[in-house]
Amino acid sequence: MGLTADERWDLVDAIAQRTVAFGISRQTTGDVLGELTVKPLTGIPTALAVLYAFWSIFGSFAGALVTDGFMIKLFDGYWLPWMQAAWPDPGSVHYFLFVGDPAAETCFEAFGMLTSGLFVSFGVVLPAIFVFYLMMTLLEDSGYLPRLAVLMDTLLHKIGLHGYAIVPAILGLGCNVPAVTATRTLETKKQRFIMMTLLALFIPCGAQLGIMLQVVPDTVGWVLLYLLIGFVVFGYVLSRVIPGSNPEILIDVPPYRWPQRANVAKKLWNKTRGFLTNAVPFVMLGILIVNILYLTGFIGWLADLAAPLFVTWFGVPKETVGPLLAAFLRKDLAVAQLATIPMTSYQMITAVVLISIYFPCVATFAMMVREGPRQLLAAIGVLAAVVLIYGGLIHAVGILLGVA
Amino acid sequence: MHDHHDRLTILMMGNPNVGKSALFNRLTGANAVVSNYPGTTVDVTKGSLRKDRHSYEIIDVPGAYSLEARDAAEEVAVRILDTHPDAVVMIILDATRVERGLYLALEVIERGAPCIVALNMMDVAQDKQIAVDTAEMQRVLGIPVVATTAISAEGVKHLADMIRKAQVADLSAIRSRLNGQEPDQGAVARCAGCGGGGCR
Repeated sequence: MGLTADERWDLVDAIAQRTVAFGISRQTTGDVLGELTVKPLTGIPTALAVLYAFWSIFGSFAGALVTDGFMIKLFDGYWLPWMQAAWPDPGSVHYFLFVGDPAAETCFEAFGMLTSGLFVSFGVVLPAIFVFYLMMTLLEDSGYLPRLAVLMDTLLHKIGLHGYAIVPAILGLGCNVPAVTATRTLETKKQRFIMMTLLALFIPCGAQLGIMLQVVPDTVGWVLLYLLIGFVVFGYVLSRVIPGSNPEILIDVPPYRWPQRANVAKKLWNKTRGFLTNAVPFVMLGILIVNILYLTGFIGWLADLAAPLFVTWFGVPKETVGPLLAAFLRKDLAVAQLATIPMTSYQMITAVVLISIYFPCVATFAMMVREGPRQLLAAIGVLAAVVLIYGGLIHAVGILLGVA
Repeated sequence: MHDHHDRLTILMMGNPNVGKSALFNRLTGANAVVSNYPGTTVDVTKGSLRKDRHSYEIIDVPGAYSLEARDAAEEVAVRILDTHPDAVVMIILDATRVERGLYLALEVIERGAPCIVALNMMDVAQDKQIAVDTAEMQRVLGIPVVATTAISAEGVKHLADMIRKAQVADLSAIRSRLNGQEPDQGAVARCAGCGGGGCR
């Protein structure tokens, strides 16, 4: 009992010598590609191309083709007018809850459970997450993710993270919930804390990205830029402030493999089913709760209360407080709700960024409670500080640019 | 022998990204997430396998390089091993990277758990002209060694058959066999399924 590591390695060598024989192996196409995609000179352009392709396929398939080309026509042209005409008592509470605004011309504006709820869930977010997860699965199964981690290592070390932190970050672009668990592969408490906080703050999920394509199609780049800058800047600050070490670890880079059709299909189905069973009810529930809060006057009261902070400090209309409440349930819903509030395009950018950073959605929050209950208070403190500081900064930038 | 009385627990352990979850899905028909990057599984997935009259609970354990836990996923792996002292450990090796997998295997063997080895990714090993002598490995370790390719389900049925032959390996016996001696006929003879010809 109790070999030392050296003794164990000696034994391993002896066993391997007996049992493993290496032939002459020729370099395969996969090996060559593997090399080319981690060497900075060829790897960085490849990474940029991959990420750009990812984003443009996402935008053109989910945004332009399915939602604009089909879903909007279906929902705004047929479903909404039909619901508005068919549902009894336009002045009643149930009409307000289920159909929403009787004069609305789009499913964004109506904000009833059966109009906006179905539109946001099936018209916008479902196609978005479907194509997102399809491409994500290809990245996961081919073996590209660890190579991206190698490339990102130097940059991420500057903000107190190991290159492998790119894996939870990219998973988070799909959904923050599994991403929080994926931080377990990071080595120290400090790294996990930084990554979890940055995830909760600056990584928008696939559902949110999908709805952003619809609500702010022209300025979504600005929103993402603000989030990216926030990720880097606050990552840097946190890595300086939080005690603990940021050790180097070796990344295991697997060989490239062809994604297997059966496995891709299975994962895609699991994610889609997860969305239908877990997310759609939350979207519906969110609309219900928000509408009830409007009816009872709570949101109006809160908006007046928060007006100084929102109008003076963040530079957004006080009505934004409603979507921010909804954001706790579903961020996609909250962004959709922003579309109903009249504001300038820079205010819209600010508001979308605020929704992303202000608090994790309830599912992510529950997962954070599970993963690091002790650090949670610290994380919330950081969160509050970042929202105040960054929200104000974005407003200040807008003032300097003369757009806010 | 009643199933519910001796439902054995099998822990699937091995380095990250050696195909534990793929093999787990093949054995249990479950839906563990399979990807091609280390650290896909960071939590515990359970499934069950019925083979002949035996019923097993199979646990897909997060990948670990060693039992001296380095990150939270490895802590989970060690905790599962600690909380299942009676479990059989199925050690999954990547046939293209046998050495580092053997290190973890020896750590598990030292703890005295009954073990069986699945030598996975045989297809990749063949492509890379790496030949692993499963019969010899089985003889040296004194526990069943089964070659598998989880991605195409090759060897999986045989692996399931061999689970009940898992046994406790003895370090000093491994040492003597490496030195060319044959110390305890008993341990090897008990693995009778293949007459010492390797469990291919």
